[in-house]
Amino acid sequence: MVYSLPEEVLEHVFSFITLDKDRNAVSLVCKSWYEIERWCRRRIFVGNCYAVSPSIMTRRFPEVRSVELKGKPHFADFNLVPEGWGGFACPWISEMSRAYPWLEEIRLKRMVVTDESLELISTSFKNFKVLVLSSCEGFSTDGLAAIAANCRNLRKLDLRESEVMDLSGHWLSHFPNTCTSLESLNIACLGSEVSFSALERLVGRSPNLKILRLNRAVPLEKLSTLLCRAPQLVELGTGAYSSGIRSDVYSSLSKAFLGCKELKGLSGFWDVDPSYLLAFYSVCSRLTSLNLSYATIRSPDITKVISQCPNLQRLWVLDHVEDSGLNAVALSCKDLRELRVFPSDPYIADANVTLTEQGLVSVSEGCPKLQSVLYFCRQMSNSALITIARNRPNLICFRLCVIEPRAPDYLTLEPLDVGFGAIVEHCKELRRLSLSGLLTDRVFEYIGRHAKRLEMLSIAFAGNSDLGLHHVLSGCDGLRKLEIRDCPFGDKALLANVAKLETMRSLWMSSCAVSYGACKFLSQKMPMLNVEVIDENGSLDSRFDSCPVEKLYIYRTVAGPRSDMPGYIRTIDRDRVNTIS
Amino acid sequence: MELELSLSPPYQKTPSIINKSFHGGDDDRCSSTVTRFPRVSWNQDEDDDNNKRFFNGEYQQDMDGDGEGLIGWPPLHSWRKRFMEENHSGGEGFNGRVDEEGENINVMNNNYNELLFVKVKMDGVGIARKIDLNAIHSYQMLTSTLIHMFHKYVENDEDGASYKLMYQHKDGHWLLAGDIPWEMFIQTVQRIQMVRK
Repeated sequence: MVYSLPEEVLEHVFSFITLDKDRNAVSLVCKSWYEIERWCRRRIFVGNCYAVSPSIMTRRFPEVRSVELKGKPHFADFNLVPEGWGGFACPWISEMSRAYPWLEEIRLKRMVVTDESLELISTSFKNFKVLVLSSCEGFSTDGLAAIAANCRNLRKLDLRESEVMDLSGHWLSHFPNTCTSLESLNIACLGSEVSFSALERLVGRSPNLKILRLNRAVPLEKLSTLLCRAPQLVELGTGAYSSGIRSDVYSSLSKAFLGCKELKGLSGFWDVDPSYLLAFYSVCSRLTSLNLSYATIRSPDITKVISQCPNLQRLWVLDHVEDSGLNAVALSCKDLRELRVFPSDPYIADANVTLTEQGLVSVSEGCPKLQSVLYFCRQMSNSALITIARNRPNLICFRLCVIEPRAPDYLTLEPLDVGFGAIVEHCKELRRLSLSGLLTDRVFEYIGRHAKRLEMLSIAFAGNSDLGLHHVLSGCDGLRKLEIRDCPFGDKALLANVAKLETMRSLWMSSCAVSYGACKFLSQKMPMLNVEVIDENGSLDSRFDSCPVEKLYIYRTVAGPRSDMPGYIRTIDRDRVNTIS
Repeated sequence: MELELSLSPPYQKTPSIINKSFHGGDDDRCSSTVTRFPRVSWNQDEDDDNNKRFFNGEYQQDMDGDGEGLIGWPPLHSWRKRFMEENHSGGEGFNGRVDEEGENINVMNNNYNELLFVKVKMDGVGIARKIDLNAIHSYQMLTSTLIHMFHKYVENDEDGASYKLMYQHKDGHWLLAGDIPWEMFIQTVQRIQMVRK
């Protein structure tokens, strides 16, 4: 005797279940739950836009309000993925414009978006509210003008780190006077000036504006005007932070900052003139997030600022902070969760700043809540890594970049295997890890043995043999994304772990030793994988099986091989492999 | 350490007979010999040699065009990298701007991208477009930008191979784009034309 709750009740219950993982589990319980769930799912996240097709998504989930898509592999951020690779948003936007008239939010990362697509977005969705384009490219300010002009209820327009073709600063004027709904605006990536009067008016009529990130072209002397119009701001990204005009810029700026009682996050700070730093002192005690990673100011100035910020949770800074500045962080910022230290001069061999492994060790000692680290430095030792691991077993994300490839422990000249081994052994919740320095297969043995929660691993210039890769593929149970460059990993480990590849989102290998023949074999064996070979230098047709492939991208998919690749990429076609004689 | 590994996956969706020997050597095309894959005994040294041969011999590390060394290393977001390049190129008077005393204007004070609009015309297309070359940093990016811009008129030609890119030098001559380094190119280009071959 089976009885079930009415659909409406189930739907109501499901509305409290928000995580994709849980929603997916719900849909597997039985057919009727699957049906009810698919009709009431409102948010979709597609981590690889080629893993599924737009029509599969719209067919299964007809009532979606929010879609997030990711396109290119992560290494595209570092120019390792060639131009024209793919990640085109157009087919997704076309399909969504047809199927989701009530769509409210689109978030795209590392995708190619055209002005036509932006225009289509602006006219297709009557209730469109949120557009986030993260590291995207292919569009111009014309497309932004369409969004501004047509999206009546726009709440969020965030262009973080996208490459926008700057045709005109007047796109901002296309926001109609009736548009008062804006809550978040991030135009920091725009190279040229936007119309300031339009910006000022827009800010002035947006009482709910909480996040405003300006671009470098907005001069400091205009900043106080904007702040006075938006004292309710919670996060601010300044433009250039220096001024040729002396007069009363400083005093009006500090007065304006005084008025911003809700301000918790600051960023921007291009071209910083240290004498203006004191202007935002009134805000420091409330700051939870501070991004000084574009500010080329020296250690004493940075230290002065940081010492005023006891509530800092996130700090991004250049290596100008030096060990002394990080000591100040360790003393003052007891609530710190995330630290990122970027290199100011990454391409020269010698350090011109005194930032060493000690800085990170200090922070790991002094900041009990530290969970996420991105650290560029020029020297590292196993003992420092072991200390960090013991101090901070609560680390979730640890990305270390020792700038010189294959640099050994500078004290003992040994590989850094033991140090990273300590990290994975102590930090049991580690989800993301990036390795650097001199590393042998041993470090991968440690990783395979201990890093059971690891989801994303980035490897460069490391390992000795296939055994290294085999340790990772066979040991890391939770691995979703693996990206490898310049490592001597060949066919054996891949072919011994074919089943693993279907449990992962994607695998990227470039400048390794995987042969073309192995790719063909893999493709044949695993119909649910797309095995894409990238070769910009030669013709893919004349490849011998024993030839190494330049770049390889393998991902699981239910959409079959894609058809939008440029000539230098080939999905190994299973059928072709079988019929060539 | 020796490792015994089986190359066939734990489940069998397809027949276990594989039609190819993948360490094929020179006869790369699919040989029709039917081979059952042996259990592989992992001999680390042999493996090392094979991989090293691929890794050191036949391979070149990707060298960055502007002599910085490795592509994509250290791993910095291209956006951040560009910011750093702008900050460092100021020394040689890259912008060529001088103040009254003949000193190079400190690029730090005026470092945001200036606009560098050039007109782009495509053969057979009535309307010209304009692009900001300061937002573009390589010939590759220029090509793909132009493809996007004119995609309605370029048929199945993803890489625009049936067009060549000509530019008008500031002294009036029309030249083929791509011969000089990008930095020099943007200093001398007046306008761009995509000419059908």
